[in-house]
Amino acid sequence: MLALPRAHVGQMIGLLEVLEDFKGRVDVAKVADDLILELDDLLPAVDAAELLSFIEVDSGDLILKETGREFLSKGPKVRKKLLNKYVANLESFKKIINFIRNQENCEVSKEELLDLLKGEVADFDVESDFSWIIEWGRDSLLLKYDSDNDKIRA
Amino acid sequence: MASLVDMQNVSHAFGKSRSDLILDKINLSINEHEFVGVVGPSGCGKSALLRIIIGLTKPTDGAVYYRGEKVEDICKGMSMVFQTFALFPWLTVFENIELGLQGKSFSKSEKRARVLKIIEFMGLSGFEEAYPRELSRGMKQRVGLARGLIPDPELILMDEPFSSLDALTATHLREEVLDLWLDPSVAPEAVIMVTHNVEEAVYMADRIVILTSRPGKIAKELEVTLPRPRDLRSNELYKIVDEITGFIA
Repeated sequence: MLALPRAHVGQMIGLLEVLEDFKGRVDVAKVADDLILELDDLLPAVDAAELLSFIEVDSGDLILKETGREFLSKGPKVRKKLLNKYVANLESFKKIINFIRNQENCEVSKEELLDLLKGEVADFDVESDFSWIIEWGRDSLLLKYDSDNDKIRA
Repeated sequence: MASLVDMQNVSHAFGKSRSDLILDKINLSINEHEFVGVVGPSGCGKSALLRIIIGLTKPTDGAVYYRGEKVEDICKGMSMVFQTFALFPWLTVFENIELGLQGKSFSKSEKRARVLKIIEFMGLSGFEEAYPRELSRGMKQRVGLARGLIPDPELILMDEPFSSLDALTATHLREEVLDLWLDPSVAPEAVIMVTHNVEEAVYMADRIVILTSRPGKIAKELEVTLPRPRDLRSNELYKIVDEITGFIA
């Protein structure tokens, strides 16, 4: 499976904020309980935060890392810069950005990107993963997507 | 403290009949530099209250004054943020926000500069050309907030702004709104927020107005003097929540 954050950016930041409220370390079940969320609804945000190295998971405890604290201490502009750095470092995004930058005008169509990913990954869930790529790519200012003509730029 | 808005003996009924009263003789002032939370059970007329303040709905009785002048039409000094975002699906994020400047006499380039500034401030950079359907609910509400903030209103009225968001997104967006409230470069003079979530009101507001149900009447007003930033899970905060919940139940 393609290693992608599969929660909304705001959900991941919300999770980091809750961890900070719990002094940086708390049992995942306690977070779910506190937010009146099913564990299954919380886990995508946990996975996203872990993938971006903002938290560590240790035997059921979520631990806010220094990088996560630093991220939280910044305003929206710097947060985007940090996201830009961390998202660009994910293998999945490296591959996507490389692919796009090697095309003419640094631009591909949605179809071309989907073909690349379907070829690389066995269980690629086309529509949902595409929208996660676009959401995180836009938020981190790595990708531009124009849904009027289905063009993606990097 | 100077008062920004004064509601004097405002009553409101559906249709013409006084028997369908939803708000009953509301006397309420909103002061400068004040974040007011309005809580109450569903059906207490919380949304009607906001619509009357901003001038979208004419009250059956009584009047609203904004800086001493009677509100007769949609009030220019105020913006509304809605529970369900109220974005135009066929407009991009940029265009939806630009609507907030309608009627302002800025040049095209100045409008553009202002929209881009608020987009950056609200963390919406990268989404300028996105349509609402491509956005998470949290992002949609950021657009709603940006559109509300851009005309530089003195009062922002928020109608259940976090209730259609999931718990994590709501946590995050509440923090953003508080950051904004504490930032003098963008904060409006006052905020009035309607919510059914008592904890949220106590966490965010300086003063809480408790409405009773059918018809909505002010049952109690209460100052929240807890220092900021507040701890949502502290005993002090919980005590106030308990007191209010007791009143509503």
